[in-house]
Amino acid sequence: MTTTMSNAAAPTIEVENLCVRYDGVMAVESVSFTAAGGEQLTLLGPSGCGKTSTLRAVAGLERPTSGAIRIGGRAVYDRAAGINVRTEQRGMSMVFQSYAIWPHMTVFENVAYGLRVRKEGGAALAAQVRHALDLVKMGQYAGRNASALSGGQQQRVALARAIAFSPSVILFDEPLSNLDAKLRSEMRIELRELQRRLGVTSLYVTHDLEEALAMSDRIVVMRAGVVEQSGTPVDIYDFPRTAFVADFVGSANLVAGDVVASDADRGTVAIRTKDGLVVHGVTHGRLVEKAGTISIRTVHLALSAGRPVGEVNVWPVQIVRSVFLGDVTQVHVLWSGQELVIRQIGGLPAIVGEFAYLHVPSDRCTLLET
Amino acid sequence: MASTVAGRDAHLGLGESRARMRMMEIVAMATVAAMVAGLVLYPIYYLLQAALDVGLPDTRPPTAYGVDNFVKLLDYPAVLWNTLVVTCVATLLALLFGFVSAWILTRTNVPFRRTLDQLMTMPYYVTPLLGALAWSLLGAPESGFINQVWRKFFGTEALIDITSPMGIAWVMALFEGSVAYVMISAVMQSMDPALEEASAVMGGSRWRTMWRITLPLVAPGVLGAAIFVFAEMLGSFSVALVLGTPARFYVITTAIYHFVSQYPPRIALAAAMGASLFAVMFAMLWLYRWLTSRNSFVTVSGKAFRPRVMDMGPLRWVLFGVVVLYVLASAILPVATLLFAALQKLAVAFPAASNFTLDHFRQAFSINAVRTAMLNSILLALVTATLGVMMTGLLSWIILRSRLPGRGVLEYLAMFPQAVPRIVFAFGMMWAWLVFPLPVYGTFWVLLIAYLTVFMPLGVRTISGVVLQLDKSLDECGQVCGASWWYRMRTITVPLLRPGLLAAWLLIFVASVRELGASILLMGPDSKVMTPAIVEAWFSSSSELTAAMALIQTVVITAMMVVFGLLARRLAQHGAPAQ
Repeated sequence: MTTTMSNAAAPTIEVENLCVRYDGVMAVESVSFTAAGGEQLTLLGPSGCGKTSTLRAVAGLERPTSGAIRIGGRAVYDRAAGINVRTEQRGMSMVFQSYAIWPHMTVFENVAYGLRVRKEGGAALAAQVRHALDLVKMGQYAGRNASALSGGQQQRVALARAIAFSPSVILFDEPLSNLDAKLRSEMRIELRELQRRLGVTSLYVTHDLEEALAMSDRIVVMRAGVVEQSGTPVDIYDFPRTAFVADFVGSANLVAGDVVASDADRGTVAIRTKDGLVVHGVTHGRLVEKAGTISIRTVHLALSAGRPVGEVNVWPVQIVRSVFLGDVTQVHVLWSGQELVIRQIGGLPAIVGEFAYLHVPSDRCTLLET
Repeated sequence: MASTVAGRDAHLGLGESRARMRMMEIVAMATVAAMVAGLVLYPIYYLLQAALDVGLPDTRPPTAYGVDNFVKLLDYPAVLWNTLVVTCVATLLALLFGFVSAWILTRTNVPFRRTLDQLMTMPYYVTPLLGALAWSLLGAPESGFINQVWRKFFGTEALIDITSPMGIAWVMALFEGSVAYVMISAVMQSMDPALEEASAVMGGSRWRTMWRITLPLVAPGVLGAAIFVFAEMLGSFSVALVLGTPARFYVITTAIYHFVSQYPPRIALAAAMGASLFAVMFAMLWLYRWLTSRNSFVTVSGKAFRPRVMDMGPLRWVLFGVVVLYVLASAILPVATLLFAALQKLAVAFPAASNFTLDHFRQAFSINAVRTAMLNSILLALVTATLGVMMTGLLSWIILRSRLPGRGVLEYLAMFPQAVPRIVFAFGMMWAWLVFPLPVYGTFWVLLIAYLTVFMPLGVRTISGVVLQLDKSLDECGQVCGASWWYRMRTITVPLLRPGLLAAWLLIFVASVRELGASILLMGPDSKVMTPAIVEAWFSSSSELTAAMALIQTVVITAMMVVFGLLARRLAQHGAPAQ
């Protein structure tokens, strides 16, 4: 997953200092990123973070206030140069959150639309539609009226329609959010496979963390109209840059304290909380100042009855709460005047009120940017 | 499989032709916008000009401006007083009819509720004009059928006088009651029943719930309906014309007609009266809009709840009777009366075999003027509906979906004719087109222009309702697929809007055939249309012939609606292929 797919034939998507404003309110504030050819880039963030506005600006459905958007090196929007290519002429494709399946057409006609616009017809058109429908396993539904489809089927038709005219750029606006959980996890894998097979450049918008991690070559995490962090899924998960990313991308404990030691060469750091507990962590190249905050993922913390040997981050703690969640058990412990959350699979049976040793490898403790 | 974007552009032949398309799109939008502005503002301008004209008579443009004409209105206190009395009484009555039937049909377990709900719209199709003709036959002090029966059994006095102010208000209220019903029942249905259930759970009795929860919640909606109904009553024309003018009882709208059609016409006075009425109605409708847009407690989300229904026991049959009585008085009785009158040589209350005849129908079909007027009306309605749907369809689209600057103003302009009584609008139009360099006055063209203007709100409202329901991304998806505006209109938008467009077509068609207020002032000797011809017949020929004409018109409209309904269903099936 860490290896970036790239396809020299597919165009890049470059977004530069993009701003979108509605009625004076900034929805997107100077966002920049580049999706390489054939790459799947995901815009991830909570609702209202500006990810959909960014996507719609790339599609040309929203008019930005400033910035530039280039597809395959050609500017489709450039405020400074006065360029704003209309949506129809941008030559991309898109899967809408509501699917936007035209209810007055058959499945075949829906999928054929982009080809008809491009003056295709006859056997070539039929073959391409057939091929697209087969790819999404909807071949036998071609003659079906589009309004007689289930949600999952509509999703597949929307996908077939988006790929039928062989676009090289596909935009996805939360395409799976209207499906139920089980179907969603299936489609996630299928969509990823399809994207790889077609080798198209795709821009994907979602608020679902798992979807983003599972499907992306790279993720851009957004919040309140600005980019919080961008990188590979592993990079973002392991080394969140800010408290927001640490919390939004998976669940994390944040601990703050004064920096008591740091080693720029080895990239290590140690902080001391106000109660005097010391946490050793890694800087991941971040600037070390007088005080700092360290993020520790809930799954990386572990509890044991006896004191583990050879670990630097070991603290005796008292268990205050234990919540059984099925696959995991969530345990809350009292640590330096705050509650830390540990998610463990099996492990020590947690009894409220008991004392235990809490430990975490120091390379799992990441210093956040201030 | 992937190719570069630039390559695809070349393949598509983009560029110049696209730019031309874009230009056409802008030109189309700007044309519609300019047309709307012209249609609405041009007559209003001339109305105001005439109202403020205090210069030399018969000289245009005016040589001096002032408010003298408005001051002169005070010389006609009776007209103002009559209008106020009739409007207030009619509004109260209509609200009573509307509220009671809305409450019965949404809140009680009245039997045959669905049928009754459908019957409640019948008065709207019968129209106030037919109602006035029929009620005049029923309740005229001397010859009215009801009074004839009364005198036969109970004495020499008349039981009712439908030509009195109260009689006029009664007939107006009967027909507006159906409008009030639709508005108030919508309010009652849009209230979440959980609000009442919560009161019941807390131990509130049924009456306490009704007084403390239900009524306060529906009050703003009912007030909105009251204002709307009041404004409509102020501008209503046909009932007062038929029932009031023979006895020289005038309200503002009929007074305007009188001032314009008498010799010599008193244009300035009519204009001042029209402008004042327009100002009051405009303020009323503005208040209505403000009230309903404030989004008070009652959800106007359009979400229909299933309200809690009270079990009325045997009383529910009484309530059933109340609703049936209303439908009888406002729809069934008038049509039956007209039929009864039209089939008699001389219309009397007590039928005699020797008195029945089909002559009036034969006559109605054989009089050339009537036949021409009928054909004219239908032709005009066909053209108005077709052009009107194209114009208001494009207009709704521009208002709701385009980024055309000034589209908010455009919406306001398009809904503007709603605030102007037809007769006042027609006056402005008459005055405007008299000086227009093209000779359209007195021809079909001026009627067509008038119809297109006054039915603009009807079309925009109907089509906007459907446009709003349409998911925006259906069009956006076509856009992303590379389809031009025209292509998307043809393949996506218009097919999806088809039910709404058909409905708007039918509504405009029916309204055009029945139009009176504007036609009566604007039609010329060579452009007679049906409804004014019916009124003319009422005043100058026999009431039996008039009844026959009115019935023929109703049958024609009903037949058109049935044919059209079947056609629409066929089209809808055609649009949705077999599954």
